[in-house]
Amino acid sequence: MTTRAASPNPFLEDFAAHAAELPGVGQPWLDARRADAIKLVRAQGIPHRRIEDWKYTDLRSALEGTNDPGKAPSVARLRNAVEQGIEVFEFKGDAPKWVVDGFGVIGIDGTMSAASFALAQSTIALHVPANAKPAKPLEYEFSGQTRLLIVVEAGAAVTLLETPIGGDDSFSNAGIEIVLYEGAKLNHIRTASNAASAIVLEDLTVQVASAAQYRAHFMSTGTKLSRTELHVTLEGKGAEAHVSGVSVLGDGRHADVTTHIVHAAADTRSTQLFKDIAGGHSRGVYQGKITVAEGADGSDSRQTAKGLLLGVHAEIDLKPELEIYADDVKCAHGAAVGDLDVESLFYLGSRGIPEAEARALLMRAFLGDAVDEIENADIRASVWSKVEAALAKATEAKP
Amino acid sequence: MSAIRETADQVATLGEKYKYGFVTDIEMEVTPKGLNEDVVRLISGKKNEPEWMLEWRLGAFRRWKEMTEPSWARVHYPKIDYQNSSYYAAPKANPKLESLDEVDPKLLETYAKLGIPLHEQKLLAGVAVDAVFDSVSVATTFKKKLGEAGVIFCPISEAIREHPELVKKYLGSVVPVSDNFFATLNSAVFSDGSFVYVPKGVRCPMELSTYFRINASETGQFERTLIIAEEGAYVSYLEGCTAPMRDENQLHAAVVELVALDGAEIKYSTVQNWYPGNEEGVGGIFNFVTKRGDCRGRDSKISWTQVETGSAITWKYPSCILRGDNSVGEFYSIAIANNYQQADTGTKMIHLGRNTRSRIVSKGISAGHAQNTYRGLVSVHPKAENARNHTQCDSLLIGKSCGAHTVPYIESRNPSARIEHEATTSKIAEDQLFYCTSRGINQEEAVALIVNGFCKEVLQQLPMEFAVEAQKLVGISLEGSVG
Repeated sequence: MTTRAASPNPFLEDFAAHAAELPGVGQPWLDARRADAIKLVRAQGIPHRRIEDWKYTDLRSALEGTNDPGKAPSVARLRNAVEQGIEVFEFKGDAPKWVVDGFGVIGIDGTMSAASFALAQSTIALHVPANAKPAKPLEYEFSGQTRLLIVVEAGAAVTLLETPIGGDDSFSNAGIEIVLYEGAKLNHIRTASNAASAIVLEDLTVQVASAAQYRAHFMSTGTKLSRTELHVTLEGKGAEAHVSGVSVLGDGRHADVTTHIVHAAADTRSTQLFKDIAGGHSRGVYQGKITVAEGADGSDSRQTAKGLLLGVHAEIDLKPELEIYADDVKCAHGAAVGDLDVESLFYLGSRGIPEAEARALLMRAFLGDAVDEIENADIRASVWSKVEAALAKATEAKP
Repeated sequence: MSAIRETADQVATLGEKYKYGFVTDIEMEVTPKGLNEDVVRLISGKKNEPEWMLEWRLGAFRRWKEMTEPSWARVHYPKIDYQNSSYYAAPKANPKLESLDEVDPKLLETYAKLGIPLHEQKLLAGVAVDAVFDSVSVATTFKKKLGEAGVIFCPISEAIREHPELVKKYLGSVVPVSDNFFATLNSAVFSDGSFVYVPKGVRCPMELSTYFRINASETGQFERTLIIAEEGAYVSYLEGCTAPMRDENQLHAAVVELVALDGAEIKYSTVQNWYPGNEEGVGGIFNFVTKRGDCRGRDSKISWTQVETGSAITWKYPSCILRGDNSVGEFYSIAIANNYQQADTGTKMIHLGRNTRSRIVSKGISAGHAQNTYRGLVSVHPKAENARNHTQCDSLLIGKSCGAHTVPYIESRNPSARIEHEATTSKIAEDQLFYCTSRGINQEEAVALIVNGFCKEVLQQLPMEFAVEAQKLVGISLEGSVG
């Protein structure tokens, strides 16, 4: 193992400089949790490719470029007004109980989630009351080190639209905690950053109670280095998680989606469907781990990851992992990387469709079934238009 | 069906589950415990090795001292004290044997107990055997007949003395000295193993087989196998392994290197049945093995088949480097873990050449409190036009306290390559068992039947005699896991 001479850790420097100005500072519970988090950052250091989970995403090397985490302005905000009694807490004044119970409780498990917790200068907590079903999605934007907590009470249903807004050369590290109580439902759609040279990291932790449902779609066009890490725990009987995503990567882009879904209770269900297209010099990564805990009988888990390479300078890495400790389960995963189906191309050719057009058609079909997982038609259409634009870029980057 | 019947019979008659657990009382020569340069020199000296070989070993030892033990596998075991083990043990006073008659009768008895007929008359037609007892190879049969075909099949210690040009050229060329912690340790202290050389255009006239036996206590076994198939050659090789039952853990760290040149084919089968420890997980062999084949030539093929039923800890990834254009790599595996066994095993298929193809079929069975992990890499490099891989990974869980895990890595850097991976996890369904029992098949037999069906694709790949043995082993390994 190579260990570098203690290179300066920008996160520790940042904490040293700004600890006194952090939101909510002085509330003992929060100060204590921040102190624990920064201890973890200090102990684990910056992730690099020798750490198994970061094998395909070398953050330490990427940070040696122009993306200075210390300089990134911290922005976490909602674009629209909230409705139906949704409470927004921005850490001015004493925290209500639901914040103390949730903030920094489930979502600190590694350097990056600990860093966003300890360093976020901009932080929001949202509380959706029981049975509330707001018609409009919550639109969340972020850049720099930020933190978000969403607590959805029993029977409520809400949609979260999330967009990174950091500019070129920016550094973003978003930590998000989501707590879904009995029968609650969250539809989560994350769209891509437009800044090619940005580093965009995100760590999501979701706790799903019985009969509650978490649905997510991650649309990515990649950046210099981007990673969305999702941890879901299906805690109650009948809890569900359905996660899908597409990464459409043009020249110089990198996108890593890492998921870990834990079936901790009986009769829980999860599905995952991820599609990657990589053109130019780009790299698409999917690492998905499913754990079925002892006693989580009747769990049903499905996972599919597929990749399409457009040239010899692109790379796709897939690691679908199963960890199973219960015997009465249904678990299946499939993964494939390859080119477009030759027979389909031939068929379309025989119908008079030119090859370029046929390829474009098949690529859309390839991505389409993952995007179709988005329930809301308007959001689906808007995501799809972004996919189309990214696809045009990725295919033109073909060497 | 008859095999199933036999399995059940065997299970019923066996007083103990691990029938190879006996110790042969034979005078042994064992080096003092500990590992340092003097021990490396001593092993090299015992083997009358030339100077270059000693230097090679010392180089490996110096590197090993700088290395740290890997910790990424899903296996947990107490820290190994590498100074608390002997690195060389040999049956005394048989430096050079001209024929089997000179072998200590006790040794022959041991092998007879193991069901390995060393005596030529008793041999299954067409199987040549090399038997390795602790650190040395005690007998190699059928040497003459193989010699006529030009095939060299001998202990590697002999090859180092008599075919240095071949050993120099190929040893460490597939698994480099500093490849990993355990391979480097092996490079420093390996004591014996088999060497096979099949010349150009020769189809080896019989199956080659080596049986490894750990006998002495507080020793480790470090064998080294090197197989070279020249242009157009074919060889099929089988190894089997057993060890006595002891409460201590013994270390086994082997290295196997295969080289297939243009159009050559090597088929390597393993039936690994080291002592797995008792029902409480006490004792058993720590099996840390590096096996790799290099399809160096065009149109070459390397096929690994393994039946892993033994060892307390298994850490083993027989791999193929598909360097030659159109080369083929195969990996067929059955890994059974019962009681407190832990297995982390799989393969690596490295596609470098054009039109290279690989196939992986892995069947993992967990019972009792065992943890069974498949870990595999399929990597396609930019020049591997039209590479193809298909991986199928099935796990079977028997009982509520065991674990089955799958960790595939897929890395593709060529757009024309196609890689497919499928995995399933299931249990022995109640209705399957019920159906069998309603037909008068008892539970133990039914489990053996279902598991053998689950493993069929892999069992079919074994040479016939061993397929039968392996089927029985599957049944015995799972004894007591249901009901």
